[in-house]
Amino acid sequence: MNAHVKIFLVGVLGVTLVLVALFVAVYGADSGAILRGVAGRTPLLLSGSADFSAFEGGFAANIVISLWAMALAAVAGTALGVGMISQSAVIRGPSVLVMNVLRNSPWLVVLYAMLYLLPFEVRIFGRFVEISPMIKATIGLALPVTANIAEVFRGGVGSVPTGQWESARALGYRRLQILRRVVVPQAIPIMTPNLMTTYAMLFIGSSLVVVTGTHDVLSVARTVIASDGDHVATAVYLYILYLFFLFCFPIAILTRWLEQRVRVRK
Amino acid sequence: MTDVQPIQGQPAPKPQTQDQSSAPLIELRDVHKSFGSIEVLKGVSMSVRDGGVVCIIGPSGSGKSTILRCINGLITIDRGTVRVGSFAVETLKKDKELVPLRHEVAMVFQQYNLFPHRTVLQNLTMAPVQVLGEKPAVVRERALALLAKVRLTGKENAYPGELSGGQQQRVAIARALAMQPRVILFDEVTAALDPEMVSEVLNVIRDLAREGMTCVLVTHEMRFAQEVADEIFFTDKGVIVEHGPPGRLFKCPNDPRLKAFLDKVL
Repeated sequence: MNAHVKIFLVGVLGVTLVLVALFVAVYGADSGAILRGVAGRTPLLLSGSADFSAFEGGFAANIVISLWAMALAAVAGTALGVGMISQSAVIRGPSVLVMNVLRNSPWLVVLYAMLYLLPFEVRIFGRFVEISPMIKATIGLALPVTANIAEVFRGGVGSVPTGQWESARALGYRRLQILRRVVVPQAIPIMTPNLMTTYAMLFIGSSLVVVTGTHDVLSVARTVIASDGDHVATAVYLYILYLFFLFCFPIAILTRWLEQRVRVRK
Repeated sequence: MTDVQPIQGQPAPKPQTQDQSSAPLIELRDVHKSFGSIEVLKGVSMSVRDGGVVCIIGPSGSGKSTILRCINGLITIDRGTVRVGSFAVETLKKDKELVPLRHEVAMVFQQYNLFPHRTVLQNLTMAPVQVLGEKPAVVRERALALLAKVRLTGKENAYPGELSGGQQQRVAIARALAMQPRVILFDEVTAALDPEMVSEVLNVIRDLAREGMTCVLVTHEMRFAQEVADEIFFTDKGVIVEHGPPGRLFKCPNDPRLKAFLDKVL
């Protein structure tokens, strides 16, 4: 892990320095005042409330949305992945088709589509339940990621030697039992780095949910810029860039570390 | 080939006798199998009596391993019949229908195919518990006894990757025995082993043969075949060219192809 810690520290330090340099280059003598102003907006950008009193949006919303979308996509993607390796062409064909459609859909287009495809509210057991922009955003992000996870699943299952299938069949295991008891447990270490990369990609993509009207960090940023003036815009966006970096970079390092461990074990 | 007996409703109880006249436990009649355009089996007929030890020898690519996989239904045949005890194997299509057959016929593979994510003991207990629904405590007792039998007491909690090839193959034999089968199929089980480990695996198989376990072996160990088998089948190009007791077959082969083969391997 030592080499990875070094890369991590160098990366954090380097990116911080570059962003600071950019900041100073843009604002010159005003840097101090602008920095103090933007720093004062931290609670708003992170939680959507002025003093952390409530979590109404902001960067926290991006995290929550990304986690829910990942959970949804993990379930749907596994199901789709099982469908894609089905022996029955009736199941396999449509599964592969759905995967290809989803994987080749631009995320922003899917998000817009959700906005107009999903109703404002649905009736469940006689009660009207509102589908909030956040729910639409979550579903919209989960759809393309479902395709990615299905592909990761298929690849992971395919990397387990066929002898494992054969010996499990000889012991009387049925197909789905083999997946659950024998193949998937062996595929998980191989799939994990890919899943983490997928999550990091999803998290970065969560910045797109602003188009659905969700109060994510970008929507809060717009409010801040509107109230504090256009001159803070660069500072605010640099700040948000830094937030995303701080969240995703550790995931990337951890992924690399896991990848190496899997390779060594093989 | 012995005369055909009507298929019994119940599998015959394990006879203590060496009665040659009883219905064979395994009987293949005119089995054909093609993979794509390549015809691997071109009308194979053979029978194995209960408690018999049969070796299938022949050049590589002659369909030896395919014959084994027809017996336990790992591959479906195109034409002919395969009968094991009371099962008409070629009529079993669904995974579920094959479970009782898999209980009767166990298999040991060239590449061991142990489950690397499970301990040695778990490799033995998994299928009896998860497939046959037996009580874990009972299976555990049996598994420990079987590990003692293959001289691997003390390795219960090791993972397959920590064992030598010979040890892994002995675990695989114990795993097959844990299903309490009537027949064990051995598919070139010593071919992947270092020479010094071959005898430890053959010793275990010899013990089983002496105890009256019905064994069908595909092997290149001619001396071993000569020693343990009561019948040898020589296959070439998808047909059984010659068969008979090892004494006669090895000393005075009739078929020129068998003569040529024996000249090469002995």
